[in-house]
Amino acid sequence: MIGAAILKDVQLLLRDRGRLLSLFALPVVFMVVFGSMFKFGPDRGAPRPIPVWSGRPELHLDSLGEGFTVEPAPSADAVRHAVATGDRVAGLVIPPTGPVELVIDLAGPVQVRGPVQGALTAAVMRALAPPIPMPALIEAKSPPGIAKPLDSISAFQVTVPGNAVLFGFFLSMTVAMTFASERRSGTWRRLLAAPVPRWKALVGTLVPYFVIGCVQLAFLFGLGALGFGMQIAGSVVALVALSLAVVLCATCLGLLFASVGGTEKQIGSTAPVVLLVMGLLGGCMFPRIAMPDFMKSLGHVVPHSWALDGYYDVLVRQGTSLADLAPSIGALCGFAALFAALGLWRFRFE
Amino acid sequence: MLTLRGLGKDYGERTAVKAVDLDVVRGEILGLLGPNGAGKTTTISMACGVVTPTRGSVAIGGVALASEPFAAKAKLGLVPQDLAVFEELSALQNLRYFGALYRTRDVEWALDVVGLRDRATEPVKNFSGGMKRRLNIAAGLVHRPELLVLDEPTVGVDPQSRNHIFETVKALHAQGMTVIYTSHYMEEVEALCDRVAIMDHGAIVALGTIGELIAKHAGQGVELELAGNAEAGAAAAVAHGATRDGALLRFPAGAPLGAALAAIEAAGATVARIESRQANLETAFLALTGRALRDTE
Ligand SMILES: Nc1ncnc2c1ncn2[C@@H]1O[C@H](COP(=O)(O)OP(=O)(O)OP(=O)(O)O)[C@@H](O)[C@H]1O
Ligand SMILES: [Mg+2]
Repeated sequence: MIGAAILKDVQLLLRDRGRLLSLFALPVVFMVVFGSMFKFGPDRGAPRPIPVWSGRPELHLDSLGEGFTVEPAPSADAVRHAVATGDRVAGLVIPPTGPVELVIDLAGPVQVRGPVQGALTAAVMRALAPPIPMPALIEAKSPPGIAKPLDSISAFQVTVPGNAVLFGFFLSMTVAMTFASERRSGTWRRLLAAPVPRWKALVGTLVPYFVIGCVQLAFLFGLGALGFGMQIAGSVVALVALSLAVVLCATCLGLLFASVGGTEKQIGSTAPVVLLVMGLLGGCMFPRIAMPDFMKSLGHVVPHSWALDGYYDVLVRQGTSLADLAPSIGALCGFAALFAALGLWRFRFE
Repeated sequence: MLTLRGLGKDYGERTAVKAVDLDVVRGEILGLLGPNGAGKTTTISMACGVVTPTRGSVAIGGVALASEPFAAKAKLGLVPQDLAVFEELSALQNLRYFGALYRTRDVEWALDVVGLRDRATEPVKNFSGGMKRRLNIAAGLVHRPELLVLDEPTVGVDPQSRNHIFETVKALHAQGMTVIYTSHYMEEVEALCDRVAIMDHGAIVALGTIGELIAKHAGQGVELELAGNAEAGAAAAVAHGATRDGALLRFPAGAPLGAALAAIEAAGATVARIESRQANLETAFLALTGRALRDTE
């Protein structure tokens, strides 16, 4: 019976273009868009040209360090013009006397302005100060107990799991919609009239979506790894186990939505809001690492955050094992049990 | 074939079905008639194990539903009032799924019975209303049940498809299937059913063959419409045994019509129309429930 239910739900899904798009295509679009918007780690794309005009010929500014190239400008005003029109992110004007002028839009977003301002300031200081050979003063290292991260972290390390979790949890809406539509159409009555135990009718409705959810995550992570160069630093077994826990949790959340959500229309209007807020709190759209502490701990009330913490470890930290993901997997299973218990408590067969 | 004993259902304060006793004989077609909200669907749902009764018991083919639900349910096929099929799937895919619920793989028979074999692989959403209804019936037939329960199978169906469904039910009956047929259409029940149960306000108010019900509850009579001083005429007629419904007067068969007519004329009224009243299930139903079968129309 469960095999027939899986077949039926897969057939239904294959005929439902909208649902297919939202399960498979939409997350890919999000991954790509966010993946090309955010930059993490040393890979910052092509170096940016910085227009420089120097009124002090004795001062040579050949290099501005990693990420920038020097672009000689004919005049100080040419530098200011290039920045004012937005052609260049920043420029340098070195007057014959007095301080060097860093031309930059001070109203620009701090995320863009800050790093540029810092890097150029340092470059100018290096160029102006006499070169003194110095030993390395500082070297960044992860503390013991935290596995070594990958050497280069591309944005897809973050946007693939972020969107996989966000859209993976949308499975719960599909589950709830299925219950509601089977009730409305009367196919649920047929199921109850058949010689099938009621628990099996319930499981038979949930299991197909567990399977579909697994296919969805396999597709998204597969595409991330093969298509977008997302690396898996830790154990693949751990990644699979974590993903199974995510799908289980989403399926159980679907049961809860089905029990309290009402009709298809009601579910269709409330579930997306709930899921988006959960995704936002959980760091699916904006990484929790960058959130203030309060938001970081608030995120723990939704399963998404636990899932993403786990994914970050297994994708970015080398040598992450199944045991290292125990807190994430445990939390997800805990949420799943909670959702299932609440869902079963409120579920009405008739 | 189906035995209901004291079967009832409460939804909170509201009693949908009081306490129904009913024996459906093997091989018969039993009609279940009743106005909207009479409790037909609720009764059927309890008989099929879809709704848990508040009180009473159900046995299907001698097997108690409460103690052996799977054995009992396997004998019964339900055709719900709503179109309970997956519109995006084909007829074949639908029947395979519903067949699997009964561990049946052979769905060809059901397709043939409803005459949908040549459209079997098309998505159901392309079907006409009548074809969807036929598939709805086929989905209740896949496991060749001993007892088929049809809840208003012809709602919203064109006359041609309705005839098709009719013939299907007759053919199944001829093969020995027991059928419970719920309908809003008196003609259907009269044409199809051996016995009729009339439900109203959650109770069966009459049960018998159509002949018995008519003889008992729908005596022949005469219907009059008055003109002139209709008020006074009607009062005089009521004194002579008529029942009154506005300007319409009804006399039961055997009423002293001559004396009544004289009294009506003496009161200053004239007879605008006179008609002999047909005794049929419709009048029996009206007599029993005080309501027409359909709210609308
Ligand atoms: N799930 C439910 N919750 C509350 N009340 C219900 C429920 N199902 C049915 N009822 C009530 O029980 C009564 C009987 O309903 P039922 O559907 O059995 O009538 P019916 O005879 O099938 O009517 P119809 O001819 O309109 O199909 C109605 O008053 C209805 O409002
Ligand atoms: Mg009904």
